[in-house]
Amino acid sequence: MTLKLPHPGSLVAFAILGLVAGGFIALATFDGGTPTLLSIGPYLWRVLAFSVIQATLSTVLSLALGIGLALALARRSFPGRDIVLAILGSTMVMPTIVAVFAVFAVYGRSGWLAEGLALLGWNGSFSIFGYPGILIAHVFLNGPFVARITLDGLNQVPAEHWRLATAFGFTPFQIFRHLDWPVLRAETPGVAGLIFLMCFKSFAIVLALGGGPSRSILEVAIFEALKIDLDFGRVAWLALIQLAICLSMTALLHWAFTRPPVGHTIRSLVHRPDAKTKALKLLDAVVLALSALFIAPLTFSILTGFRSMLDVIDADLLQAFVTSLAIATAAAILACLLALALASAARRRRIVLRSPRIAAFYDLLPDALLAVPPFALTAGLFLLIQRLGDPSTAGLILLPLINGLAAVPFAYRYVAPHLLTAEERYGRVAASLGITGWSKLTIMDWPVLKRPLAAGFALAMALSFGDFGIIALFGGTELVTLPYLLYERLGAYRLDEAASIGLVIVLFAVFLAHASGRLSHAGD
Amino acid sequence: MLVIDNCRLTWPDFTADYSLSVPAGNLCAVIGPSGGGKTTLLHMIAGFERPESGTLTFNGQDLLPLEPAKRPAAIVFQDHNLFPHLSAAQNVALGLRPSLRLSADEKRLVGEMLDSVGLEGFDERKPGTMSGGQRQRVALARALISGRPLILLDEPFSSLDPTLRRDMILLVDALRRNRPVTVLMTIHTPEDVADVADQMAFVADGRVVALGLPADILNSALAPRIAAAVSDS
Repeated sequence: MTLKLPHPGSLVAFAILGLVAGGFIALATFDGGTPTLLSIGPYLWRVLAFSVIQATLSTVLSLALGIGLALALARRSFPGRDIVLAILGSTMVMPTIVAVFAVFAVYGRSGWLAEGLALLGWNGSFSIFGYPGILIAHVFLNGPFVARITLDGLNQVPAEHWRLATAFGFTPFQIFRHLDWPVLRAETPGVAGLIFLMCFKSFAIVLALGGGPSRSILEVAIFEALKIDLDFGRVAWLALIQLAICLSMTALLHWAFTRPPVGHTIRSLVHRPDAKTKALKLLDAVVLALSALFIAPLTFSILTGFRSMLDVIDADLLQAFVTSLAIATAAAILACLLALALASAARRRRIVLRSPRIAAFYDLLPDALLAVPPFALTAGLFLLIQRLGDPSTAGLILLPLINGLAAVPFAYRYVAPHLLTAEERYGRVAASLGITGWSKLTIMDWPVLKRPLAAGFALAMALSFGDFGIIALFGGTELVTLPYLLYERLGAYRLDEAASIGLVIVLFAVFLAHASGRLSHAGD
Repeated sequence: MLVIDNCRLTWPDFTADYSLSVPAGNLCAVIGPSGGGKTTLLHMIAGFERPESGTLTFNGQDLLPLEPAKRPAAIVFQDHNLFPHLSAAQNVALGLRPSLRLSADEKRLVGEMLDSVGLEGFDERKPGTMSGGQRQRVALARALISGRPLILLDEPFSSLDPTLRRDMILLVDALRRNRPVTVLMTIHTPEDVADVADQMAFVADGRVVALGLPADILNSALAPRIAAAVSDS
């Protein structure tokens, strides 16, 4: 009997589970007294309540803006519509810290709105900290995302259905009921869950715009327990609760929503018969105007970074750029390798070994990674590294590792379907010729896989490049990324410099995301 | 009588100029190579495409100024005829009332129409649980229940297997014989309709190249082109 090596995918799955478990055990067993859950009870309730309320409000407002905008865009064509769609698409990779800057620039103490009101003779004051700032930032990031996803869905209504609607003389209400509503009903629950999850654990935005301990969410509470109090026991408790909530949400989403949220908008070739209705013309004009009024200033505030772009380019910025690039590249490579291993294990289980339950576990694992609180994992792994050796290099290991893990689900969504396609097309031929293992990957899978893999790589890099997450722990004189630099400038109220840094991050992320989109659609 | 006289449509890469007349009550099979303009012809009659010049009348009525919903025509496509969230009966009912608010009599009519296309007991079924042939039967029932005298069938059975396709064509023939309807059907397998069609039109390059009895068309000098068109698709 020969010893059979385990599949790389199962090794990866065990390694990931081991890392997470190891991190949690390190946290829980750290000396210094573990507090009971009871002792942090009232504080915990406050944080939980705020997390849920702000995430719910953010989700509802994002859906309202996004769905209204999608319907208006579906009914209307106008010059510049393609540019609008491109802007909507770019907020998908808009780093949260850049959105924070935009909110400051437009709605902040000395922002455009305050200046405009002052010109009109108004001399009151308002604060964006707390709900207003958080909701504006979340809706700015997620409303356009909803609009794009919904518009993609609406555009997939077959042309025949539009012709039938015309032939039957459907009223605008009947069109909504039979053509738009089924799409909304199918897409919205999944999108809503996804946005709720993102807002629930939205670290950078709540950290910068929360404005005090009473406006904190779990992720920020974990960060503060680490950075300020070094209370590992509390970190462990908070992280466990966060993990439980996010895992349940993720599992629910998996069950309710399997369509990957990557798509491209094809212009519907059939004109909608309801486009001529007067009431809808008015409604769409109002919706488009309000959306523009909300989205345009925020977007434009980032573009003003062009003005002082040349002034901010210095050794610090270049160093931060190189650091960000290195971390993003390492994270993207890691994410792609892990995704490839997991996806190929899932495929083997599903098709060759016919055990769809285990395959479903592999499919769920990447998304479950998003439920693990990054700060708690980082802290746990930091403690492990400290026990084993030199902790001064921990940041260099943990930044790419945590960012890479966070990007696995996105890479997985590109890789997994194409691996299945390759198996369906050539699996039997390969099996009959005895092509397995490495040669199967290079001969059979690679031609189908190289473009989606490159697309997943570019997207993983874009996400990691703009991430303001655990760099908040490690950032300092020695380790500075571009998002961290932006955060520092924001803290010092140097908005002009922040604008330029934000623009650099956005341009690079959008460039990568665009490359990703081109790669994933070419050759389809 | 459907009369199409020099109806001209232009696109950057394609020009169509149709002339065709079909006597009321006839079944006219439209054949020809794919990309030759068969579907465009039906879409123009239904009102989805507007000719720049020419005339289009049915029983003396000018159709060109009419919106698709006001034309005396009902259309069945090759695919995507049914709304997936509605039951078979509701999909049929759309042909009577887009509001789906039916009287008791109308509900009975829907049931009878489903029976007559061979779908007894399918009233509450959703399209997702039906076969391709069953879905096309529902679409056919909806076209007939609308009471519109002109039925346009655009490759309605092309995605069905040959035996089933032949059954469906015989069903269409049986249904149209006891109703005052004129039928235009595009099809890429002419031999399936040769014995039931009253007329056959060969459409290529956006023109009606030949019009006549099926046997005459199939045995004419066009035979090699027809054979090429069939094997091409």
